[in-house]
Amino acid sequence: MSIRRYLVLTLFSVLTLITFIAAIQGYKESMSQAKEQFDQQLLDFANTLHAVHHISDLTLTTKPIKTAQVTQQGSFAFQIWQNQQLVVKSNNAPDHLITNNKLITKNHDENNFFEINFLQQRWRALAKSHLITQDGTSIVNVVVAQPLKTQFALSQALILAAVTPMIVAIVILSVLIFIIITQGLKPLHQLRAELGQRKSNDFSPLTLQVDNTELADVVVTLNQLFKRLDIAFQREHHFASDAAHELKTPLSVLKINTHNLIQDFAKRLAINKKDLVSLIHIEGFASIKALTHSVDRMGHIIDQILNLNRTNSSQMLTASSCFNINILLQQVISELYRNIMLKEQTIELESENLLLSAHEFSIHLLAVNLISNANKYTPIGGKILVSVRQMENKQIALCIEDSGAGIDPQEYQRVFDRFYRVGGDQHDSSVIGCGLGLTIVKHIADLHGAKIILSRSSILNGLKVDVIFPMLVEREQEND
Amino acid sequence: MRILLVEDDLPLATALQQSLQTEGFVVNHVNNGSLALNALSTPDQDMLILDLGLPDIDGLDVLKQLRDKKSTLPVIILTARDSIESKVQGLDFGADDYLVKPFEIQELMARLRVIERRLGTASSSLICIAGVKLDTYAHKVFIFDEESNQDIEITLSKKEFMVLKALMENAGRILSREAIESKLYHWGEEVLSNAVEVHIHKLRKYLPKKFIQNIRGVGYIINSC
Repeated sequence: MSIRRYLVLTLFSVLTLITFIAAIQGYKESMSQAKEQFDQQLLDFANTLHAVHHISDLTLTTKPIKTAQVTQQGSFAFQIWQNQQLVVKSNNAPDHLITNNKLITKNHDENNFFEINFLQQRWRALAKSHLITQDGTSIVNVVVAQPLKTQFALSQALILAAVTPMIVAIVILSVLIFIIITQGLKPLHQLRAELGQRKSNDFSPLTLQVDNTELADVVVTLNQLFKRLDIAFQREHHFASDAAHELKTPLSVLKINTHNLIQDFAKRLAINKKDLVSLIHIEGFASIKALTHSVDRMGHIIDQILNLNRTNSSQMLTASSCFNINILLQQVISELYRNIMLKEQTIELESENLLLSAHEFSIHLLAVNLISNANKYTPIGGKILVSVRQMENKQIALCIEDSGAGIDPQEYQRVFDRFYRVGGDQHDSSVIGCGLGLTIVKHIADLHGAKIILSRSSILNGLKVDVIFPMLVEREQEND
Repeated sequence: MRILLVEDDLPLATALQQSLQTEGFVVNHVNNGSLALNALSTPDQDMLILDLGLPDIDGLDVLKQLRDKKSTLPVIILTARDSIESKVQGLDFGADDYLVKPFEIQELMARLRVIERRLGTASSSLICIAGVKLDTYAHKVFIFDEESNQDIEITLSKKEFMVLKALMENAGRILSREAIESKLYHWGEEVLSNAVEVHIHKLRKYLPKKFIQNIRGVGYIINSC
């Protein structure tokens, strides 16, 4: 979950929840306050009525008793009873006494609130009795009532009026929170986008402009780190090519001097013995043979160690290009043909002009290692078949099979280990090798996301190596 | 033939000088780029063997400056750099050939001989392989006949001669069909898809058995020994 989403969602939920709780609390509180207010109103009204009645009563005591009707405009209904006789009532009040049966209490001057139904409505009512004379003969009952619906509607309208702006506020706040968080996290998003686009071997400094101190520090630190990594990477990369140069030049000297030595030797022998000793003879001498073999072996090991170093995933420049794999394989076979010819092996290439998008040098290296392995471990006069085909799912499969002894399926996993050689110490020492070839092949295949499958060749009965490249490829247009 | 050897490693230069002199080349050695450019300013050299890792000027820059002066001097690059990129770069800059250290001295000699023949010194115009003699100068081919114990001239068409010459000049190296085609035909000239196969088929009738070998899917080769 992204930080922005987390922040927006959490803040929004917390805000909504707390506002909601507050609103409920406020609603409850307001309702009870309103109730008290309404009761107070009833009480005040009852007291007023009583007072007015009392005054009129004092002046009009002799009047025959007749119920007076008061046109009540508002929502109140009231009755005034004197000694069980209805003296005054509002026109929306019934003729019988509004009471909840417990009435009328004998405790005078006590407020008696209750709820009651009449005239198809529920009312909140207050009954109040007063003793007018000291002997208790004359009792005045005042009943005041107000419809609950009116009370409720009024208080609800009030509360809603207070709560509605809060709901609108939540919506506005949510939008604001979203905008502020998005804005605030923008530099972080830019940083992420820039880092995301980066290739693994790109160590150029970040060009991001950030205003806030936290991210500025991160960017500065990252840039310093990139710089140091770049330097280390360069140093290591140069180390490989420097080492190559340093080791290869003396090796060339050794090789040329061996050649010169054989030439010299031939010349001297020819002079001393006056008899023709051909170069082939001298090259066949055990010590000379051992010398040239060791030089070749050393050259091979240096090459392979450098190749291994170069194809290490952290070292590899993965800039890929599109090339014709058929031409590449023709080149590789041409390069290795001398060795193939020396062992009188036949090699065949079955390939179409297929374009492969990969790092050309490393694919070259991969092919060299696999084909030269086939050459080394196939006996004299054997056969090697190199083929490339495009599979139905657009994958390209490079397949190299030989008529050698093959590898025991139990060793299929181990042959990719560094310096591992099949048979260990019993390995044929006349074969130049250092056990790095398949490790290099594996590195290169891994870099390209390719799969290597070892099996027994059904055609030649030796080892069969399939390298399956997953990349999308296009078929080259034939020119002729 | 005079060769200018530009190499900063003294032991390598000395050893190389010795081998080349044994083969009959005249070798002048300089150990840095500016001396090389100096020596190249006079037209005394027939060809250049150039190491890329020089102490003062990069070998590729020396090559570039040489080609900028419209010099057609043949150049073979020697280098410890073996990545495809620097190889392509070297050939793009106008090098004729490219050898990666440590190289086989025979390989260097073979490539020098190709250049020598191209330069057309009379003594080197004859290529002899397994009883087949090809005179690159006179455009003639002779085959040693065991019965009469003498060379018999065979007549080839121009294209057939060019195919044989290409293969014999590059003896020991496989030439792809495309590579042979490019030596036979100019740009834009119409090429039949099996033209090379037809020429090879005709050539094989005259030549000893297995003289021209076909590596299926790769190309053709004449073995050098």
